[in-house]
Amino acid sequence: MPAPTTRSSAHAQRDPLAWTVALLALGGFVASILLWQDGGFTLDEPWAQQLDLRLHFSFDGIGALYALLATGIGAAVFTYATAYLPLHLDHQRRPARDRWRFWPWMGLFSLSMVGLATAQDLVLLFVLFDLTAVCSYFLIGFDRQERASRVAALMALLVTGAGAVTMLIGAAILYADHGTFSIPELARALHEQGPASTTTTVAAALIAAAALIKSAQVPLHFWLPRAMAAPTPVSAYLHSAAMVAAGVLVIGRTYQLLEVSQTVTDGLLVVGLLSIAIGGAISLTRDGFKQVLAYSTISQYGYVVVLYGIGGRAGAGAAAFYVVAHALAKSALFLTAGTVTMATGARKLSQVGGLWRELPLLAAVSAIAAATLSALPLTVGFFKDELFFHAAADHSTALGILSVVAAGLTFAYTWRFWTRLFLGPRRACDRAPSQPLDRLPLLLTLPIAALSLLAITGGIWSAPFVQLAGDAATATLGHHAEVHVAYRLAASTENLMALGAWALGALLLAAPALWRPAALALAHAGERVGPARVYESGLNFLNHLSTAFHDVEVRDLRSRVAAVLLPGGILVLLGFIATPTAGAFTVGSVSGTDLLVVAMLALVAVAAIVVTTTHEHVSIVLALAVVGLGLATVYALLGAPDVALVAMLVETVVTLVFLAIVAYAPRGERPTRRELEGHASRPHRRAHRSRRWRDPLIGAIAGGAAFLVVWASLSRPAATERVVDQQIELTPAAHGKDVVTVILADFRGLDTMVEITVIAVAVFGVIALLRRGRSW
Amino acid sequence: MSVLTEAIARLLLAPALMVAGAILVKGYVDVGDGFSAAVIVTLAVALQYLVLGARRTEEEIPLLRFAPRAAIAGLLIALASGFFPLLFGDPLFSHEPGPGKRPIHVGRLELMTPVLFDVGVFLLVAGALIALIHHLAEPPELEEEGHPAPAAASPAAPAAREEASR
Repeated sequence: MPAPTTRSSAHAQRDPLAWTVALLALGGFVASILLWQDGGFTLDEPWAQQLDLRLHFSFDGIGALYALLATGIGAAVFTYATAYLPLHLDHQRRPARDRWRFWPWMGLFSLSMVGLATAQDLVLLFVLFDLTAVCSYFLIGFDRQERASRVAALMALLVTGAGAVTMLIGAAILYADHGTFSIPELARALHEQGPASTTTTVAAALIAAAALIKSAQVPLHFWLPRAMAAPTPVSAYLHSAAMVAAGVLVIGRTYQLLEVSQTVTDGLLVVGLLSIAIGGAISLTRDGFKQVLAYSTISQYGYVVVLYGIGGRAGAGAAAFYVVAHALAKSALFLTAGTVTMATGARKLSQVGGLWRELPLLAAVSAIAAATLSALPLTVGFFKDELFFHAAADHSTALGILSVVAAGLTFAYTWRFWTRLFLGPRRACDRAPSQPLDRLPLLLTLPIAALSLLAITGGIWSAPFVQLAGDAATATLGHHAEVHVAYRLAASTENLMALGAWALGALLLAAPALWRPAALALAHAGERVGPARVYESGLNFLNHLSTAFHDVEVRDLRSRVAAVLLPGGILVLLGFIATPTAGAFTVGSVSGTDLLVVAMLALVAVAAIVVTTTHEHVSIVLALAVVGLGLATVYALLGAPDVALVAMLVETVVTLVFLAIVAYAPRGERPTRRELEGHASRPHRRAHRSRRWRDPLIGAIAGGAAFLVVWASLSRPAATERVVDQQIELTPAAHGKDVVTVILADFRGLDTMVEITVIAVAVFGVIALLRRGRSW
Repeated sequence: MSVLTEAIARLLLAPALMVAGAILVKGYVDVGDGFSAAVIVTLAVALQYLVLGARRTEEEIPLLRFAPRAAIAGLLIALASGFFPLLFGDPLFSHEPGPGKRPIHVGRLELMTPVLFDVGVFLLVAGALIALIHHLAEPPELEEEGHPAPAAASPAAPAAREEASR
């Protein structure tokens, strides 16, 4: 990897775009603190009234917590990225303007997170939920020249987007039952309703599923490790304050809708515990820096999901506290990984070691972050585990034991990550021991220091964190809740559990032989038959299906026409089978001018048969003209002179245009047999199927369906004609006598306006294509 | 084309235009509207192209070259006569005079915004179709012989041939 040039580092200091976004995040952070201390605000504006949608935002406890994360962690990560991104682009020899593909999305990402945190309406929640997915798509795929990035971006979008759709379905079910999308109103309605009905359970489960997918919980966790293809600041932000946090944010926000169903809260417990176990075990086996951290995130959000599954004051408060502590630690560790990669070029734990001598400050601050994640005292992380142990032990003994094992796993993979980076013999990718590391801008360390400082401040002065978590729990539960933490120098249950966890973690670290084969087998099994494989084969299957359909549909002109006629005809026929047809088909009498109409229609039918059987171009055009002009005569006979006039004129023009086209075509040349069989556009087609029966069959189905529709509608004079009667009645009031013109120019003037605009656009399109914009 | 067809084409132009004008003006009272009138004008012009050829037609009727501009003007007139109620806070296409009011008469002609709208439709359709005839009558690859043909223009004719042969 080439050494960073001075040009790019100098550029980093001066990039106004980057600093604007970073300063906006910082400003948002300060504003969020002020708003939170001020008691928040509520904004409730009508949005789409016919659909009962409102722009309802409320800066309550949850809003404050996640807005502070999105802007605060955002400020740190963005500051880091001002130095990281120029180096990243420089390493990949990409132009500096590519930063425009980064910063606007980062800004929108944090903005949509703030919106999501404060949204109080399920549809609004859905929209902003998807907006974060869209932002993450572009950010994960930032290195778009690499296939892995593109695949990962698409996977994140598809998997979490599918989740968002389940949330929308859940919201629609609740709306059907209770007539509102507003979360507070729904919560009230559900609690008055008492025990959850099956539909409520299904709706709650669908919303929970969306949140769990977003928080990368087992079994739909596989998109998150792939998303590590993103640049490191994106990963750091995605894991700690955006995207993945959005999942547990939604659980916290909709908790009152979920808790009415015991099934759903039990489901949260099971999914959370599975995620802790699988994420933790696989994290211990990974070699890539970011892979270790990605699986640890799956495991960590598993804790939060378990806490919401436990529920109540203890659970909700602990969950909120956990999210904050985890965000500080995880973003700092991700940024550490990025800095180490920038300094050494290494991306794997097996390539590095003993870096504390050269990067002492980084080693120190990331040790604090690791201590926070593994819940050592004097960091805010200690309290997160204290609350976790308290809630788990209160729930049941079994859960208490599982929570100790989980915390032990966390301890093990966190310190495995840190010790492999900074301790042991000095290794730095393929550098010789004497070769120094790349010089790094200070901005690649300072934000990590700031985050760690905040973590250690929280360990000593926990009041702000406690208040924040308490406020969030209040908003989650809908009634007042407080969180209490303190150091207790006594043999309390929580302290004993913490000691047990550290001992277990140290044992896991010291004796890898105990667990390594089992964990590797689990990771291997996951790769062989896991949900990621299901996703891949599902995607492949859909691709093949789409290609097959596309092949059939657009092979040639006949296939394209058939693709419209055949499904249309079949749908209409199915409709006729499904509806009662008694009395729908009657045969009227024929007299007077009807005889002329029948004669004209017979002529049209003969001409139509001629069109299908002849191969002479001019004959086809003339037969088509007979069809059109014959129908125009029928209109005239039926007393519709306006329609007849337009039909006559249009037919004349169309016939002339067709004749002009035929004049360009080679004269007197019959289509070859191959062309007749429809193979002209694909000379090397493998399957030679006869079209002798296919095309007439398709034509018969479509024609038969159209015939049935016309017959049925002529058999019973429809009630819809009342509109026409009204228009005829109103015509004198519009100062007209010709109903058709009055409808076109007055009653339905806007339609006409749009139609003539289409004509104008088409003509100027032709001009642009034929004459490159020369209009005459 | 014989002398006879040429004479007939010349003779037919003026009556055709007059019919079109009548249909346009009488559209609100009798059969027909701006669209029909525009197509009749186009047919009359197309006949001249067919008989006299593009070059001579455009020499004899120099007004034709304003066709694209007429199309744009028609679009603007239609837009204006449909959207002006916005200025007064009324719904789109609330035509003047409203129901119950008496329209202004000029002789036997009634002045109303829907008729103006119809005139816009007429100008747009006629202008657009005549512009199309102009472009189709002189395909670019014929006109630009001697010059290096643009890459986009030359495949047009074989493509049309292929479509027609199906």
